[in-house]
Parts: sequence; structure tokens; C-alpha cells
Amino acid sequence: MIELDLRSRIPIYEQIIEKIKDLIIKEVLKEDEQLPSVRALSTELTINPNTIQKAYRELERQGYIYTIPGKGNFVAPVKKIINEEKVKEIKEEIKKKVMEGLYLGMKRQEFIDILDEAVKLKEGLK
Amino acid sequence: MIKVEGLYKNYGDFEALKDINLTIPKGSVYGIIGSNGAGKTTLLKTISGIYKPDKGFAKIEDEDIYENVHVKKRMFFVLDDPYYYHNYSIKEMASFYKSIYESYSDEKYENLKDVFKIDENKKIKNLSKGMKRQVIIWLALSLNTDVLILDEPLDGLDAVMRQKVKKIIFEEVLERQLTVIISSHNLRELEDFCDHIAIIHSGSVIKEKDIDELKNNIFKIQFAFSGDVPKELTEKLDILYYKQSGKVTTFIVKGDRKKAEDLILKYEPILLDIIPLSLEEIFIHEMGEAGYEKENILL
Repeated sequence: MIELDLRSRIPIYEQIIEKIKDLIIKEVLKEDEQLPSVRALSTELTINPNTIQKAYRELERQGYIYTIPGKGNFVAPVKKIINEEKVKEIKEEIKKKVMEGLYLGMKRQEFIDILDEAVKLKEGLK
Repeated sequence: MIKVEGLYKNYGDFEALKDINLTIPKGSVYGIIGSNGAGKTTLLKTISGIYKPDKGFAKIEDEDIYENVHVKKRMFFVLDDPYYYHNYSIKEMASFYKSIYESYSDEKYENLKDVFKIDENKKIKNLSKGMKRQVIIWLALSLNTDVLILDEPLDGLDAVMRQKVKKIIFEEVLERQLTVIISSHNLRELEDFCDHIAIIHSGSVIKEKDIDELKNNIFKIQFAFSGDVPKELTEKLDILYYKQSGKVTTFIVKGDRKKAEDLILKYEPILLDIIPLSLEEIFIHEMGEAGYEKENILL
């Protein structure tokens, strides 16, 4: 289900965390859905089970998954986290675009105009 | 858990191991890396109770390992040059080990037979080097010991076999908390295999850490500012390496990644890239700090 890049410099543990978060945020993995067991992932990817366990623990700490002892790991109700993550992503994107605009000589007022326009559009939709 | 404390080992005047301290958690895959002649094999031989420590101890669950049959039964050491009785077949060698190790499992031996697909009636001396390696790993896993010590074990196995062996070992780690201690020169290999790493250099441990912590704690940053590099950066970051090419500065920094990133972002860089180091690069760097020749192979 997840693909890792063993040649990448990014630690496997981080890759697992990011990939699973991504699947949860994109809602490929739905709320209360069971995650693949440590054994299944370990066998499928030939990854040290301790590394997978550690990644799952970290995901649990961050609130993305919860554990039922003896049953496995499940996707937590993460609507709120997802929204926060998405907002964070959008902010990053806007910042990048604004930077580009600034380099091309756009002025502060021009950005504000775009913002006003967008707000109007949204209100018009209501 | 295996604990090594204040361990010294001399060969005559030569101090092969100096004040080694290690903690090897149960169920971990523990990698020992080091330069040539750093003392890896001596360390493994002392941990496995073949060598007597001159000072200090190696203990498993608080019991001394040296000269302790009861404890040594729980561990098996795969030497880089394993010994076989002349003229023994694989099957005969297995029954020899069975007579020594109570934990030996016929079931595991049979299961692994299907994995390795070597005729058990063949004489070991007639097998190729790579196949001999497979045989010793086959036998080692059949012994079902709590601890498996491997001295450069995967060298000489082809890629498919290596993958298979890793899978089997991971299964044992998960299933029954097998502890694996492994040394190798092949850092790429250990990177995917281990969860803990100890770096040793001329008989001393210079680093012992969880592999992800090790990797998170040292990283390469490339950045550029429209103006000069702010002073605060060079003052506040623990910089191991510094290179400037044109506007682009490259640092190798030790410490917290997020903190370093935030610090640089404060000055609004026009370029910022944070790149984790590979185990190989970390090794070279740590060795460099320990006074081992590294020159400019890093960047």
C-alpha cells in the first residue's frame, strides 16, 4: 500500500510517517479504518519491524491513529488535524506565490486587491 | 538486554578495546560500524564470550557471558569465516548443533530448507563461498537462540538472498524478540537493516544511538541570502563543515533540524534546502571528528 524510497536520504521512519499521513489526509485511509499490521508492512517492504512500530507510535502521538491492544492500529477521527494541515499547506503555497509576485515587481496593494476580489467572489456565491 | 560496561581488551601491548559502553535492547537489530581495524570483531568476540575481557564486563540480563554455558546457549555467533567439520554434510552439521543447543528447532530447519533450496546431504566443503554463507545462516536461524551475532554476514550473498534473509530475521525479531548484533562495512546495507547503530574507532565507541535519532541530529543545509550570511547563524549553529560557492552556502550542522530551519528562515533566505545525510556520510563525518582522515570526500 505504501511505497518507500530506500535510496532516499530521508530516514525510512520519516517516510513511513509522511506516507501514512498523506493517505489519511487524502482520505484514502478513512476514519476507523485499520492500518496494515506491523508484520504485513515489515514483510511487504522488508523493513525492520522496530522502525515501523516506532513510526506508528509517532503517528499515534500526533493523533493520526489510535491503537486497540491486540487488534491493531486504526485511523483516528482527524478532521480537525486534516483541516489544520490543509490550511498550513495552503498558507505555504500562497506565501510562495506571493514571493514570486514580489520578485516580479507586484505591489502590496495588488495583492490586497486580489484578496478583496476573492472575498467578494465567495460572498457572491452565497 | 545486553549490557557492556567499561570493557577493555588488550592483545599484548595493543589496546584493542578501550572503555566500551553499550546497551543493546532486547529485540533490536544493532549495527556496529567502524573503520578497518577499529575492533569490531574483537568486540563481537568479547560480547559472545569467546574472549575474556581484561576489565569491565559484557552481561545479558545481568548475567556475565564469559565462561557461562547457561547464557552462551542462548546466543550464536556467525563468524565471518565459519568453521565446519571436514566432510560433514549440512544435515550432519545441523545434528551436531542440535546436540549442543537445546533451543534447536527441527521445524525451523525444515522451513528454511525451502527458502535456501540447497540439498541438505551435500558436503559443506564442496559448496561455493556464497552457498556456505547461506548454510551458516540457515543453521544459525535453526538454532532459535535469543541472540544472533553476525560478523559481516550478508557479504557474499546475492541481492535476492539478502532480501530473503533480512525478511526471515525481521520476522524472528517481531515474532519472538530476537536480538541481532551485526557488523558490516556495507553501510547502505545496515541503514535499512538496523534500528540502533554504534560507531567505533580505534577501540572506542564514538557514537551510540537510535538510527533515526542519529540521522535527525546531523544534516546538510544549503542556503543563500541576497546579502551576506547573518552572523547569528555562524554563532548559534553547531557547524561541522562550511562551504561557500558563489552565493550558495553549505553547512553541515549538528543539532535540532527545526531550530536551525527557523533560525535561517528568520532572515528570509532566497534559497533554503535541508538535506538529511546518509549513514555513510554521517559515518565519514563522525570519523573525521574522531581524527580519522576524511579530507574533502564529503561534499
